[in-house]
Amino acid sequence: MKSKKLVSLLCMVALTATMLAGCGGTSDTGSGTTSDSGSSTAATTDSGNAGTADTADDGAASGDAMTLEFFDVAANYQGVQTGWFAKVVKDRFNIELNIIAPQVAGDAIYQTRASSGNLGDILILESGQFKECVEAGLVKDISSDIWNYSNLSGFKEQIDMLNNSLEGNDGKTYGIPTEMMNTSPTSYSQDVIYSSPLLRWDLYKELGCPDIADLDGLLDVLEEMMKNHPTNDAGDACYPMSLWPDWDGGDGMLGIANVVQLTTWYGEKIKGSVILKPDGTFIPLTDKDGSYYKMLKFLYNANKRGLVDPDSATQDWNAACAKMSAGQVYLMWYSWQVGFWNSTDRLKDGTAFIFTPVADQSYYTDADSYYGSGRVFAVGSQVDDAKYQKILEFLDWYASPEGLMFQHAGIEGFNYEKGDDGRFYIKNSNALMDNLPVPEEWGGAGYNDGNNAINQWIVSANSTNPLTGETYATTYWSTYKEETMTDMKKEWAERFGADEPVGYMKANNKLVISPNVSVSLPTDTADIGVIRNQCNETICDYSWRMIYASDDASFDALWDEMSATMDGFGFQDLMKFDTEKHQIEVDAKNAVAK
Amino acid sequence: MKEFFSNKRKVRGFKEFLYILPFLILVLIFSYYPLYGWVYAFFDYKPPFPLSWDKFVGLKWFKSMVENDIKLKQLLTVMRNTFAMSGISLFFSWFPMIFAVFLNEIKCKPFQKVVQTVTTLPNFISWVLVYSIAYSVFNSTGVVNSIGMKLGLFDTPQMFLQSADHIWFKMWLWLTWKNAGWAAIMYLAAIAGIDEELKEAAKVDGASRMQIIRYITIPSILPTYFVLVMLNLANFLSNGMEQYFVFQNAFNKDSIQVLDLYVYNLAMGSGGYSLSTAISILKSVVSIILLCVTNKVSKLIRGEGFI
Repeated sequence: MKSKKLVSLLCMVALTATMLAGCGGTSDTGSGTTSDSGSSTAATTDSGNAGTADTADDGAASGDAMTLEFFDVAANYQGVQTGWFAKVVKDRFNIELNIIAPQVAGDAIYQTRASSGNLGDILILESGQFKECVEAGLVKDISSDIWNYSNLSGFKEQIDMLNNSLEGNDGKTYGIPTEMMNTSPTSYSQDVIYSSPLLRWDLYKELGCPDIADLDGLLDVLEEMMKNHPTNDAGDACYPMSLWPDWDGGDGMLGIANVVQLTTWYGEKIKGSVILKPDGTFIPLTDKDGSYYKMLKFLYNANKRGLVDPDSATQDWNAACAKMSAGQVYLMWYSWQVGFWNSTDRLKDGTAFIFTPVADQSYYTDADSYYGSGRVFAVGSQVDDAKYQKILEFLDWYASPEGLMFQHAGIEGFNYEKGDDGRFYIKNSNALMDNLPVPEEWGGAGYNDGNNAINQWIVSANSTNPLTGETYATTYWSTYKEETMTDMKKEWAERFGADEPVGYMKANNKLVISPNVSVSLPTDTADIGVIRNQCNETICDYSWRMIYASDDASFDALWDEMSATMDGFGFQDLMKFDTEKHQIEVDAKNAVAK
Repeated sequence: MKEFFSNKRKVRGFKEFLYILPFLILVLIFSYYPLYGWVYAFFDYKPPFPLSWDKFVGLKWFKSMVENDIKLKQLLTVMRNTFAMSGISLFFSWFPMIFAVFLNEIKCKPFQKVVQTVTTLPNFISWVLVYSIAYSVFNSTGVVNSIGMKLGLFDTPQMFLQSADHIWFKMWLWLTWKNAGWAAIMYLAAIAGIDEELKEAAKVDGASRMQIIRYITIPSILPTYFVLVMLNLANFLSNGMEQYFVFQNAFNKDSIQVLDLYVYNLAMGSGGYSLSTAISILKSVVSIILLCVTNKVSKLIRGEGFI
């Protein structure tokens, strides 16, 4: 009897203890999990990071590395930075970066951390979030110290531009733009643009490199290609276009991601619920004269001819990737997409994808990100002086030529080396793809495993390195260009009379460059947020059904039904909001263009 | 106070209260404290600003649900889907019971075990993986299309996952494939509890196997069945979102979007937290009403309620 009572009492105590332990977010139970051993992998705890790191780094002895919490909207990896990049940072600053990634943990982590009053020590935020966080007091004012750092001061114009655009800001500095460049806000210095029609050169050559007049002409070419090659070498069915629905509605855009991207082929750019025309005016997304309708119809026509992969609406991104890598598609439209197929070998034997002009098109592109690409580096408002010092030192190095070479080119002696002629040559070009082992002196482990997980840069790779006179991006080094000047590239250059796609577009006046500006735009109110969400769901659902519509009449009937439904959800209010919002941006662009 | 401690019965009562106190606290923390979140439905809530900065809007979000024909129509469509799919599950809720009864009749024990294991396993596969399986089987180059085209049943690939035809029934089939074996476990346990003497007596009286099932097995497990059905009734509006989330696409969303999925799609897209909270509140209220109604019905029919 006694023992029974004792057992039940013990049970009760244990239960209460577990219960209370579960509730305490910042209780001491966490400190046991944070390792002080200095090993960079041991402290990788995904769930416990909210409470643990605070207690750990204050109490750490002076010899131990300081751990900085890095709230990073760009990162695809959550946990402590490991491998060679961790070693580079630790050797210089004796800090470790504990990355908190909303892309991994879910967007709710932004909300929960923001409401706790401490987002992290270093922050990378979206432009709208930055504005809100400054208002909510989550971002530290760095005005008095930032100009003591020479590399950051080099971008004073750009940094001031961003901060002055904050409403009601009287000369204070809170953030540093990402991907800044040292060219100009109206120039475009890359060889390719983000979206343009890309065709397989061998298949195009097989047809005799015909002129393509318009979208119907493009479909004719694709139809011929499919007729000549209904399967790939492995015997799997090929469809010239394979779409995927995963990305729909991401980044605050309205509509199917694939279509939204294609609209830039006619010089127009979708900004939320409105389309920005090349002349700087806005029309609603649901306008039948707009490019969303035009490109959707293009995909519908393609499907009618049997050129669209029937799995497009149900497959996920990974399934689509597999098809690109297996050579089962004949049209690509993102500049990075070719990475799934083009290789040095394929460039050499002429089977790679390359831009193929369509006569009636002119392409929209954003200019060099001189003032930044939209995201912002900032310092959390809760950091103490020691941390603050370290963070600024780190950010200054992050924007320095030395730091940038690590970020964009990799390790000297492993990823590149200086030749006898003083120029840089790429080494181990497959280091990232094949995760090559890094030499022990750089911390060992795989190259990709230890790669910079911050995944965002203060200075763009397309900027010029003042020490070498070449870009940080290895693909623009003169040595690389010489190596990749293949027969295919020569044939292409001869056919179209230009060295590179952008050269062709500029020479033929087919490039609409939208100046880069740095403005802070109003964020959605709670009402607009709901309207945007419901309109987006509507337009995406209807768009997919329109691509697979049976005939023109039902295509148009669906379009009208969609417009009516969206109006019911408040599309007119949304349009008004978006027009006013993006007018601010257009005004700024016009000011820069003058 | 002194009087309290001298009264043995009261001290005992207090002690016994202490025994259940942890569970009470548990319920309070995990079931009642979260109700505090309902306040978000009455504000224009927008992270990262704290609630105290947001505007109090009263019943605005509740009203906005039904403010025009199109919104009302969408809400009604969602309710229709919810009721249809819960209704189908309810209508076929006898299926696992019958399955268990027949499973129990298999005389070859190893075979019975194999069948039971095979049918139970899908319960442990997540819906995401179920969809991967569905995609591999039914995509344009999947098993079904390959075989169908080889046999000449159709000459272009059929897009099974894209069609909204019979989608409710198809969803029920997937659900049953995943759950039937697991749901049968409860009934198997109930069957094992039936007194063997009853069956033996029936056999002596010359009852056939079907007669034993009809007059002994099924009546004995009916109470279990009723309890489970009534618990399901209370969950009528919560048919979960995972299954519909993975199977939804532009073509079937009109028929597949159930209440839970609707709330998710609203809140996660761009932070319509307030509106989704308002919908959740309505859902809870309706669920409570349903529970009370079934309890009343149960009292009328069986003479006893379950709460």
